[in-house]
Amino acid sequence: MATIGHNNLNAKLVLLGDMGAGKSSVVLRFVKGQFLEFQESTIGAAFFSQTLAVNDATVKFEIWDTAGQERYHSLAPMYYRGAAAAIIVYDITTQESFSRAKKWVQELQKQGNPNMVMALAGNKADLEEKRVVLAEEARTYAEENGLFFMETSAKTAKNVNEIFYEIAKKLPRAQAPQNPAGMVLVDRQGDAARASSCCS
Amino acid sequence: MSDPSPPSPPPEFPPVEPTNFDLIVIGTGLSQSVIAAAASTAGKTVLHLDPNPFYGSHFSSLSLPELSSFLLSAPSQPSHSSPISDEYDVVPLSSRPLYSDVEISALPTELEDCSRRFCFDVSGPRVLFCADSAIDLLLKSGVNHYLEFKSVDVSLIYDGESGKFSSVPGSRAAIFNDKSLSLIEKLTLMGFFKLVQKHLGGEGEDVISEEDLESPFVEFLNKFRLNKNPLNQKIKWIILYAIALADYDQENLEVCKDLLKTKDGINRLALYHSSIGRFPNAPGAMLYPMYGQGELPQAFCRRAAVKGCIYVLRMPVAALLADKGSGLYRGVRLASGQDLFSHQLLIDPQFVIPQALALSKSGSLQVNSQNSIPKDIKMKVARGICITRTSLKSDALNLLIVYPPRSLYPEQVTSVRVLQLGSNSAVCPVGMFVLHLSSFCDDANQGKKLLKAAVDALFKQPSSVISEIKSSETPEDNSVDQGAVTEEEKPALVWTASYLQEITEESVSTISSSPCPDGNLSYNNLIDTTKKMFEQMFSGEEFFPDAPEDPDNVEDSAPE
Repeated sequence: MATIGHNNLNAKLVLLGDMGAGKSSVVLRFVKGQFLEFQESTIGAAFFSQTLAVNDATVKFEIWDTAGQERYHSLAPMYYRGAAAAIIVYDITTQESFSRAKKWVQELQKQGNPNMVMALAGNKADLEEKRVVLAEEARTYAEENGLFFMETSAKTAKNVNEIFYEIAKKLPRAQAPQNPAGMVLVDRQGDAARASSCCS
Repeated sequence: MSDPSPPSPPPEFPPVEPTNFDLIVIGTGLSQSVIAAAASTAGKTVLHLDPNPFYGSHFSSLSLPELSSFLLSAPSQPSHSSPISDEYDVVPLSSRPLYSDVEISALPTELEDCSRRFCFDVSGPRVLFCADSAIDLLLKSGVNHYLEFKSVDVSLIYDGESGKFSSVPGSRAAIFNDKSLSLIEKLTLMGFFKLVQKHLGGEGEDVISEEDLESPFVEFLNKFRLNKNPLNQKIKWIILYAIALADYDQENLEVCKDLLKTKDGINRLALYHSSIGRFPNAPGAMLYPMYGQGELPQAFCRRAAVKGCIYVLRMPVAALLADKGSGLYRGVRLASGQDLFSHQLLIDPQFVIPQALALSKSGSLQVNSQNSIPKDIKMKVARGICITRTSLKSDALNLLIVYPPRSLYPEQVTSVRVLQLGSNSAVCPVGMFVLHLSSFCDDANQGKKLLKAAVDALFKQPSSVISEIKSSETPEDNSVDQGAVTEEEKPALVWTASYLQEITEESVSTISSSPCPDGNLSYNNLIDTTKKMFEQMFSGEEFFPDAPEDPDNVEDSAPE
């Protein structure tokens, strides 16, 4: 959920899409400015966080990775529950990944958080010669379904920062989340009394 | 979210890679998910399968259509069409029903549009105590980052003698502020809490004698005097059934199958007390995970996946593979026909360990002596789920009610516990409430009678229905204090379901069987059992070793 305090916004952001569409590459480009030609399937990362300044506010994205659970179509619903924003990634060189992206949009719409900011990212835009999904087709689909659309390339960094900025700009305008946020349990370290705290 | 039709493997599945694992787990119940996460964290290669299209198995939280299909699904028959293998004996894996006497009321039209917006816990009611071993495990394993909780605002106990609900004073401050307690009740209860605290603090030897600690808790309560004042019946009930959460009638040894010893009673009191105030934002002792208890196995599965565990839902296992010569377990045959191999197998409690494999030598693993194969069915739990539009207490959304033994009718042997959850827990649409009920029982008749009595006591009955239980009950025209319900204000029941669940024992061997959801309110026993299972399955491996946590809650160890 997006939570607001002192013009600072914390927002859970999830990436969805077919395996190999470039979800992790997009995140790595955004968070670390890196690109790996042969990015391994995602293992070992749970979250990344990155803060952006937008107008007079800062947005701290808590970016969840799929942890590879999408490989056999077994992504847990908890992954996208409570997300303030989602980037649905497909690979412009395969029609199948675009179809999967549409299924993810349906799935998110079924979850029924009308305030979620959704972006459709046609990734691997650098592979123009292998393109099979037309930008116009994706743009029309995005407009019809209330998403905004960009073609990105994690390799050349095209539109990667832009898509996160665009989300950040749209977020503060989103209304209060439908469900009030719950408590996250945190064990304070090094506390002699092993006291723990809850922050909401 | 997922298709309620019977699970079948989607044909487009790519074959699972790799094909050899340290551990294959069937079913994503809480125990299996914790073990998958612990084994992955210990560097083991793990494949986690589930025949269902959702996570959680018997610990899942399901929408209304999913719940019906899960409870009513027929046990899978072993398929005999598996191709014969030259290398292995192919032993069909069969399952047996854990649920029986399933009754689900017809879906009222008012719920048709929102039936998918409910999250019903299959093994409710269940909560976490802020200081219990489940919370410790969430913090230790780092799984706490994936979850959000709501506090259970109020805990109430029903007093069969007065017909009133009273709030459960779990702390000294609560006793002091409780207007329903008389001064003498306050003083004796305070005095008893002080004695327990003194005992636990180790101040002086023999605050409570060794003999007392081994004696029944109820006798200890009966003996207690503060300036010659005993604990009265109401206070004893609060301690026994609402704080120590005893399941069986502690004052009737003929029917009591689980007599609480003083030391256990005191430990439960201590857990309750240390739970209050552990987290500054949680006023009560209990927490409930947002979106339902099914989030807990999902969180552990995510943790496992982050550590490399492979997940395949909608994938039944058709058969087990055994070595032709030795008869030892070697692997599994998926419904897709693919053969996969592992050193160990952990199965869901609904599956039966095939006799042929159960009798084979279990290698170096120690078999838990308490377990027998085929599994003994020891106890049953009757569970109920209700939907209503009005809170049972006007100023609370999430609350717990305990009906102690004999409070509903004279022959009531076990406590009935009721957990009400509101929309702020994200388990139902705004303006509705979900209630979970459970009670231990011997058979369906007893279980259904217990649930019916509790439901009748909670909800307004259609005037045409005259309940046989109610007629022999205490008068209904009580002036109930504390904002609790009176008969006129009782909410109407919108929808209800009830079923019996069997409780089977876990077992550890080359093929291990995970524990069923128990009949307790907390996850304590289940987590303790799971930890022991892991330590037997992977001797020498630590159960979630302490790892330094990034202060920013951020794991940032992606491949460089």
